[in-house]
Order: sequence, then C-alpha cells, then structure tokens
Amino acid sequence: MSAGEAAHLEAGNDRRRRSSRHAWIVVFREEAVELWVGGRAINLLILYSLLLGLMTFLLATNSELSLIPPKEMVFLTLFNTISFGVFIGMIIGADGISGERERGTLEVLLLTPASRRQLLLGKLLAALTPWPAAFLISIPTMLVVSQGNEVFGQAMWIGAALGSVLAVAFAGFGLLVSTWSNSNKTSMFVSLLVWLLLFLLSQLPGEVQKGDFGYFVQRLNPMQASSEFLEKVLVNNRTISEKAPYLRSSWIAALLVLFLLFVIAAPRLRLVGGRAKRMRARWGSLAGMTLTALALICLGASAMALGRPSFQTKQSGLNVSIDETYVEVKTGDEFTFDTLLENDGSEDSPPVIMALNIIKISSSGDVVDPEDWSPERTQYVNSVAAGDAVRQSWTIEAILKGDYMVYLVAIPEPPEGASSDPVSSPGLHMTVGAFQALNPEGVLPVVIAVPIGVTLLLLLVVRLRLRRLARDEPEEAAAEPV
Amino acid sequence: MDTRTPEAPVLRAEGLAKSYEGWTALEELSFQLQRGHVLGFLGPNGAGKTTSIRILTTILAPSSGRFEIGGVGSERPAKIRPLIGVLPETLGLPNQITGIEYMTYFGQLYGRRRAEARTHGAALLELVGLRGRARKLIRTYSHGMRQRLGIARALVNDPLVLFLDEPIVGLDPRGQQDLLSLLREIATERGAGIIFCSHGLAEVEGACDDVVILSSGRVVASGSVAEVMEQARRTSPGRTGLRLQVPTDAVRRATEALNAMPHVESVAGSIVEGQLEVTMSTAPNTAPGVDAEFNPIIENLIRSDIPVLSFEVEGSRLQDAFMQLTEEGVR
Repeated sequence: MSAGEAAHLEAGNDRRRRSSRHAWIVVFREEAVELWVGGRAINLLILYSLLLGLMTFLLATNSELSLIPPKEMVFLTLFNTISFGVFIGMIIGADGISGERERGTLEVLLLTPASRRQLLLGKLLAALTPWPAAFLISIPTMLVVSQGNEVFGQAMWIGAALGSVLAVAFAGFGLLVSTWSNSNKTSMFVSLLVWLLLFLLSQLPGEVQKGDFGYFVQRLNPMQASSEFLEKVLVNNRTISEKAPYLRSSWIAALLVLFLLFVIAAPRLRLVGGRAKRMRARWGSLAGMTLTALALICLGASAMALGRPSFQTKQSGLNVSIDETYVEVKTGDEFTFDTLLENDGSEDSPPVIMALNIIKISSSGDVVDPEDWSPERTQYVNSVAAGDAVRQSWTIEAILKGDYMVYLVAIPEPPEGASSDPVSSPGLHMTVGAFQALNPEGVLPVVIAVPIGVTLLLLLVVRLRLRRLARDEPEEAAAEPV
Repeated sequence: MDTRTPEAPVLRAEGLAKSYEGWTALEELSFQLQRGHVLGFLGPNGAGKTTSIRILTTILAPSSGRFEIGGVGSERPAKIRPLIGVLPETLGLPNQITGIEYMTYFGQLYGRRRAEARTHGAALLELVGLRGRARKLIRTYSHGMRQRLGIARALVNDPLVLFLDEPIVGLDPRGQQDLLSLLREIATERGAGIIFCSHGLAEVEGACDDVVILSSGRVVASGSVAEVMEQARRTSPGRTGLRLQVPTDAVRRATEALNAMPHVESVAGSIVEGQLEVTMSTAPNTAPGVDAEFNPIIENLIRSDIPVLSFEVEGSRLQDAFMQLTEEGVR
C-alpha cells in the first residue's frame, strides 16, 4: 500500500468512527428539515388545527354536544390529538425507507459509513416530531375547554407520556413495515390496514367488550386501551394505578416495535425489500384471520351473554332505604346520598354486598355504566345484627344529561353451594341537566387563533427559507454550466 | 504475503458471480483497475453491468468470487464503503434543499464536521462546475446539473474508486463530452480509479483506458480499448467491411466502380445520404497490415473522379467491437 493510500485509509477510518457516533443526529436533522421546511408536516398540522378548531367550536356551541362536561371535552381533545399525532407519525414512518427506495435515494444512503441502526434511528426520531407539535397546538384548546378544571394539568402530563409511547409504537411500526416494502403503496397499505383493524376492534358491540375476554381484547389494542385509560382516569376519577393494566399494551407495543426495528430489521436492511409480495400475502391473510376472529368473538360473546343460567334464591330479613327520593343536578356535578341497610329478621345477617345501579329512564334502552358515574360502586358490610341497621354513603358524578333511576341492591353472601335473595332499595330519581358554564365566546378566539398561528408559522418558515436563498443569490457566479 | 505495491491495482476482482434461484446474472467477472485509470463496463441491456456495479459497491453480495479495493477484501463491506464513491443509475435527489446543503449532509454522514463538510462540499461543487448553483434548490437543476451534483456527492469522501452507472444517459452531446472530460480530470488529478457503465460507445471510447464488455452475464472481452478492438477483429477474420461517403450524385458510379474491384463481395448504398457499405472478403491469414488493402479502393474511386467525403474501416471503432462481441456472446 502506498503512503498516500495508507493516509487516505487512516483519514477514512477516523471519519468513519466519527460518523458511526453522530450519523443519527445528521439523518434526524436532515429528515426533520425536509419534513418541516418542505412543508409536509406543517400542512398536516394546519389541517389538524382547523379540524380541532371546528370540533371544539361545535362542542362549545351546539346545543346537543355542549352537554359534555369539561372533563370529557379535555379527554376528547387529548385523545384526538394523540390519535392524530400517532397516525401522522405512522404514515411518515411508513414512507421512511420504502419512499427512499422509490425515489432512488436509498442506495447512496446505504453506501455511507452510517450504520443501518443509525439511519433508522434518525428517521424514527424525525417521524416522531409531528406528535409533540400536535400536542402543543392542542394545549390552548384543552385549556379553554377545561374551564379551569384541575383535569387540565393531569391531562397534560398523562397525555404527553402516553402519547409519546404510542407515537414510538406506531411510527416505529410504520418504519418497520417500510424497511420490508419495496413501494410506499405496500407500506401504506399494511400500516393503514393495521390501524383499521385496531379501530374495528374498538367498535365491537358493548356486550362483546365485557367479560374477561372482552377486557383482554380491549387491553390488547394499544389505542383502545389508551382511550379507556384516559377516559377512566380523566373523566371517571379512577386512579392511575387502578387502570395501569390498560397501559401495558402501549408499552409492550413500543418495546416490541423497537426490538424488531433495531435488532431484527436494521441489520437486514437492503436496497431491495424483496418481501413485498410475501408480506402483502401474509398481512392479507393475517387481516382475514383477524376479521374472522373478530366475528367469532362477537358471536361467542353474544352467545355467552344470552346463555346465563337462572338460580334459586332464599329469603332474608334485609331491607334497604335511601334518604332522598328525587335530586336535580347538572352534568359534571357531584352529589352524595345515604342508604340504610336494616335487618328485620330474627338472626344476624351474613356479610352483605351493596351494589349501586343506575338505569336511564327512556324507551331507547340506553346503557349506563355505573363505573363511569361512581368511584365506589360496591361496598361490603360484614354483618348486620338482628334488628340493627348500617348506614352507607354514596357519591355520584353526573356524566350525561337525562332522567335516571338510582337504586341499591343488597346481596347477602350465599352459603357454599347455594344462592341468596338480593334485596332492592326504593329508587332515587335523578334528573341531570345540561352543563351551561362553557362560554362559546371563550372558545372562539382559540379555535380561530390556533389555525391562524400555525399558518403564520408556516409562512414564516417559508419566508425565512426564501430570504436565505435570496440573500445567497448575489454571491453566485453568473456562468452556469450545462 | 502482502502483494500490494505502489503499482498494485486499486481494485482487483476475481471470479465474481451472481445467481438468483437458478438464473445467472453474472459469471466469472475478473479484472483489475489501476489508480487514475478509467474503465468502461459495456454491454447490452441485461448484460450484468448494474449487477457488477452493485456487487463491487457492496450493495449485493456475490454468489462466488471476491474483490479487493485498496487492499480491503469484499468480506468486509463496511470497510470498503468509505473507500468508494457511487453514482447509481437511479439518481434520486431531494428537491427541497440546495446543492450545498445536500453536499454538507453527505459530508457529515461520512464523518466530517458541519463547517468542514460545507467547505469541502463547496470545493467539490466548484470542481464539477456547479459553484454558481450551490445555493439553489435542487429542484431547479437541469438533468446535467443533477448528474454533476451526483458526481460531486460521490466524491465527498475522496474515494479510491468511483463507480458511475450510466452517467451520460439523457445528456446532450455537449453535456456528455463535458461530463467525460470531468471524469478524466478526476482520474488524472485526484488519482481515483473510475468505473462506469454506458451505452454511449462512441463517447466512452475516448474517455476509457480499459473496457470490460459483458453479454448475458458473461465477460466477452476485457483489456485496453485497443486490445478489445483487436480481439473483436480476430473473431471474424474472413470478412471486412468499409463505410464510405460520397456525394449523392456519385453513388451510382461509385457502386459500379466498387463492384468491379477484386475481393468486393457486395456494396449497399443510400442514394439519399451518399453512404456506401462495402463488404469485402479477405484471405484468412492477412491480419498484419490488412488495412493497406483498402488503399486501392480509394485510389480507384479517385481515378474514377469520385470524391471520397469519408472513409472508415469497419472494426476501427469500439462500437464495432461491441456489436461484434456481444453478437458472438448472444450466439
């Protein structure tokens, strides 16, 4: 080897070492600039800010929709923001490698000393950038619709954390599919198909989503589980630890995708995907199987719901009374009432389970989930002595407008192998009126200002870019080659 | 034993082959490339040129055989990549950034610091004649400018070997000549070995030191341009062709005069263009000095008062050798 070649190799080795450390930053910056300065991401954000503004305005002004209390509006805005940020991240991720293949730019990237992992890391980080941007532009809206409710602060940090995990999972998934696809069409198809399947799972009938298997499926779907988690924690006053199992699928999905992306796919990243047809067939059959499974789940769950056996009961001397007969509240209001569990019998009662029930008084048969309305739906009473009585206090948060009947059922714990006779209380008629505190005038400036602000940001970026290019113009030589 | 010496080739390929599930894309490709030399990969479509380039640039792994670049074996593709520069056939370029930003990006990917990458990128853009366009968005570049930008990008790591896949496709004649001159300049001044694929045989002939002609995945000829043409001539020693151009009003007389001469088998001509193609039969063992036998033809035409506007012996151009050899290869 000549001295020149040796020096060349040494200089190359030195640069390669540097490249292997920082290539992901270089790729990330380049991708992010193309995404944002190129206008793709900002255009989508403008679109989103318009949609968000429209939705908020409708919620605030429409006489039907404005019944939704602040907590629920914060939840809806937050979940829509997460869905948007995550979806856009997935779409951008799905273009990451297959798009480079289509445009013929992948080959020169693969030939640089940057490792495959560094390339993918840079692209993944760039695909994640729409999420925090979407989150930021939704903050003013959430602040307004929260109407000073403390849920705003909670929504901020929970939303930021959960949205980030989901963004990693879905942007990573899009990028993963993209590494295996030869064309954008394939990677988009697969990514959107999975998104659609997850959406379909969340649209199963309510009865199907109950029971062990129903809850398992709910928890398995990261988007649905996240929605459930946010709703219960932000709207229904549940604690995070109580609903933590609903976070597992998001974390597992994110970790699984990162593992597949950086450990399995990265070392195998090639100029030609080569698996598009097989993948399409595989995903197609997977989708078919999943849809079939969904149908079977629906059928099975319906059958289970219909096939419950009847049971024999045994009389007891218990009766339950309520200290109120009628109450009038507004959506979002909390109120408490007391019940008295009396034992008129001659013997001490066995342990009693007291269960709160809420039924909507309407012909439409609307289902009310008492878990959403009350933080403590059941209470346990060890025993009630003969002739004695026990008092319990119950709290209800009115969620939706309408007329409801609230009642308690006392269930004596049955002996081994036998049943017992539940006892019902008189009803408490509850009328829930519309929440009127939301001021549309307070919402309008925000829903108008946010899209305008984002558009101005876009114009500023474009203007700065053009000014920079124009400033450089005079330096350029007049002669231009072929 | 270390066989590398100052004269050692920068690239040495030995028996490279590539097969895909029963189909052979390339077989037994062996050649060497010296520092500062330009080597042309020629062949009809599907001959295996791009496959060869992709193997040599580590994008594809060979089914068998190996190669070395700067003494680094093909078993270590990650070590080879920093030593090579590539202009792929499909030249994808981002549209939303300027030429200098593109160069800076790749300079950084090759481990240069940002400021250094920008300075180096600007120097390369100047080398390829794009200094005046450095700060323009790439989407405003013409096809020729994009090719030049691609070459500048391929030089960003000061490669030992530069690979260019069809670099002159789509360029006008002036653009082709400019680009080929640039390649010669890069080879001479930067000492890089250059390999490029092309269909523009007339242009390649003047730019290449060596050629490898591929047909259906096989090497049908390799060596210097002169060696390859001689090899083509040897493959059909029994027939020789001439191309003549005479004034259109003299085509008939020239045809008669040529048909009357010994060894002339046939004369085909175009009255409109004044082109005549003469097929001659020669003795099998007349290789040395065979071209002198064409002199009587010109003398005869001049004596007949027919002006000869151009005269060319078939096989004197790389294109003839290419046609001859790839035809043989196909057979």
